[in-house]
Amino acid sequence: MTETAIPFSAPPGTPPLVQLKGIAKYFPGVIANEDVDLDVLPGEIHALLGENGAGKSTLMNILTGIYQPDAGEIIIDGYAKQFATPLQAIAAGIGMVHQHFKLVQAFTVAENIHLGWSETPRRASAQALEARTAALAAKFNLQTRPGARVSDLSTGEQQRVEILRVLARQARVLILDEPTAVLTPAEARELFKALRDFVAQGNAVIFISHKLDEVLEISDRISILRGGRKIATEKTADCNPRMLAKLMVGRDIVLADMRHRAAGAAQISPEPVLRLDNVSALNDAGDEALHGISLQVHAGEILGIAGVAGNGQRELSQVLAGMRPVSGGRILIEGIAVGRSNAAAFVERGIGHIPEDRLHSGLAPALSITVNAVMREYKHPPLSSGGAYHPGAATTLAKEIAAVADVAIPDFGMPIRNLSGGNQQRLVARREMRIANKVLIAAYPSRGLDVGAINTMLRYIVELRDAGAGIVLISEELEELLNLSDRIAVLYEGKVMGVVDNDKADIDQIGLMMGGRAQAREVA
Amino acid sequence: MAASWRFQRMPSASPATAFGARIAAILLALIFAGLILAATGADPLDLASQVIDSSFGSSFGLQDLGVLLVPLILTGLSVAVGQQIGVWNIGAEGQFYAGAFGAATVGLFVPGPPVLILPLMFVAGLAGGVIWILIPTLARAYGNVNELITTLLLNFVAILLVFYVSTGAWRDRMSNSATRRLSAEIPELWGSVHWGLPIAILAALTVAAVLAFSRWGYEVRLVGSNPSAAHYAGMPARRHLITVMLLSGAIAGLAGMLEIAGTVHRLQGGISNNYGYLGIMVAVLARNSAIGVIFSAALMAFILNSGIILQTQGLTTSAVLAITGLILFLTAIGDELAHYRIARDKA
Repeated sequence: MTETAIPFSAPPGTPPLVQLKGIAKYFPGVIANEDVDLDVLPGEIHALLGENGAGKSTLMNILTGIYQPDAGEIIIDGYAKQFATPLQAIAAGIGMVHQHFKLVQAFTVAENIHLGWSETPRRASAQALEARTAALAAKFNLQTRPGARVSDLSTGEQQRVEILRVLARQARVLILDEPTAVLTPAEARELFKALRDFVAQGNAVIFISHKLDEVLEISDRISILRGGRKIATEKTADCNPRMLAKLMVGRDIVLADMRHRAAGAAQISPEPVLRLDNVSALNDAGDEALHGISLQVHAGEILGIAGVAGNGQRELSQVLAGMRPVSGGRILIEGIAVGRSNAAAFVERGIGHIPEDRLHSGLAPALSITVNAVMREYKHPPLSSGGAYHPGAATTLAKEIAAVADVAIPDFGMPIRNLSGGNQQRLVARREMRIANKVLIAAYPSRGLDVGAINTMLRYIVELRDAGAGIVLISEELEELLNLSDRIAVLYEGKVMGVVDNDKADIDQIGLMMGGRAQAREVA
Repeated sequence: MAASWRFQRMPSASPATAFGARIAAILLALIFAGLILAATGADPLDLASQVIDSSFGSSFGLQDLGVLLVPLILTGLSVAVGQQIGVWNIGAEGQFYAGAFGAATVGLFVPGPPVLILPLMFVAGLAGGVIWILIPTLARAYGNVNELITTLLLNFVAILLVFYVSTGAWRDRMSNSATRRLSAEIPELWGSVHWGLPIAILAALTVAAVLAFSRWGYEVRLVGSNPSAAHYAGMPARRHLITVMLLSGAIAGLAGMLEIAGTVHRLQGGISNNYGYLGIMVAVLARNSAIGVIFSAALMAFILNSGIILQTQGLTTSAVLAITGLILFLTAIGDELAHYRIARDKA
């Protein structure tokens, strides 16, 4: 942080902006929070770190009036407060930006800012609202286009609108839930700068995350939650990633080089199992999103795909899994060119796919766990014979998958959306691993997961590699790619900028390629 | 300190709560209807006992219910089938008429013994329904045209077509508003209840079994629940959409065929008695379950039958429409409320 505002220093004796004392919240059979104390000081960015289900969201829902605590006190500026509704919380200066934005897609930015706000002029023309919005945007230094429709904005822009909406209501404590999960690195940097400016005026930010590096970069202090309780609050300057991971999970985590093969693991095959030969493909809008891509995936190796999200990763993973037709070039599976694309045909040939957005495309959230678990094998005995489908056999297979995935499921008939994100991802991964005997396409397999679940997911991938499948690992976490991949290809604006051997990989060089600089000379 | 009570929204309603909410909604609607009747000066308890007595107290009442059940099961099933793949078939009414029209064509103009004519009428009924939903189906499958509007608008075409032929070219010189009697009719089973009833129930059971125990049913459920996931799994989503919509039309067409071959015995305007639209209610009340349709159709038949009885007591036909509207309205509220539970906060 070079050009940040001067840090705010509170006069001595200033009470914390927010003080939580002994907060507890119980749901039937679950302790969501118990005995949580938390102080948030003026001028600080306070990170809240914890695994999925550690109680971060519940705690923040209590602070913003969505839930009421079963025990404990909320003290704002030294005065005890009770929030029966979120409106009372925002009136007390506490506003939250949720992970899933709560904007009206069909409305303009200005209309969204003024929605449900007591200060909205009673008779407001579009121009008046847009002028007010422009003034607010200038005041808080958050660039927005007041007249644009929200549905036309990028996720980064939508997030700025959400933040502006909270700040316009004179929030002094801004709570952000996983704010960078949807942002490109450049957008994240802009966000961090805006947050620094905000706290420099004596306000505070509570930053919920499970990305260790990011928390270390942005926060002043870190509180760690585990199992609904607060484990520790530390100055960020005194923290390091390993210690935070340990506090968060309660055990040591190995986020280390996983390229080493145990004895008996499959060797990397000389011939590629999956080959893209000068492949081009269109995106949903009909524009060419992949330009002449050539890649080879060998059995028993992990090919990492690095790059900033939105540079063709989605289209590439869909082409590799047979979901998207190619507009040029050839795809060869074990040397045989495939004709017209069909995801089911790729599955039959042993290509599995963990999609980047599992709820949207990898699962039918409203259907049962059984239906979702057997999506890849329902055509084969014992699940079906002739045209018949056997629900009993399907449940047996679903139980088998849940057992290897180590997910405890009380009722296989319940909708899969009732499971946590981590458990859904495990089930999807195990489902795909069963059929991926040639290749697994894993798109952002660790996105949205906590450290423990990420570790499990990466272990799965290594296990499959050792069993002799070729893996394509698409990720935006460079460290993850370096820890797992044998080779790394860098994707930029739909082109492969270069493929590097991990042994000879140089982070700076990969970084340059991610930014669009071509590889000086071919290494691999 | 006072404890405060508060609603808390749950992500999904438990089946038991959802079922309870439906029963409560139906009872509330009936109570409301009783109160309104009381306000108009009638004695609701007396009316209720009359309704129950004449519906279930005599074999004639039960026979009337049985006759009403046939079209209601099938139109409800037609809508419920469309919903499996996320399609709203508002056109069961029109497909009902088209099925009746197709069956009447055979019954009026093809000579032959009933054993031959009836199966032919059956096929013509199915074909009528299929043809009537064909354009909305292709428009939805290839042009992504909303089927709500196309199926709805085609209803008026079918209704007017049947009016046109039955009061025009095909009219019977004696009645002037209907065709002559069809050459074949479905044999009766018990009183006025004909073999259409077991056929309708069998149709519902078959659809339920196919959805639960066939690969096709599995794929249809997946395509209907999340088209993106179906694409990911490589399922032929468009082909399934077309088959399901045509099946939905065929079932409504069958309803029309059974109605004229089993109950009315001639083609005339207004034969559907709004069965196509009531089918939407039947499907909604059954939560699109093919077996549930049998039971919600029975409820609907009872309400329709009550309306007829109430009419003899000097009440208007709109009373029935109001009661069905109330039930749908309260069911929608009940479905939403089933997501809530009451939580107690210690302040």
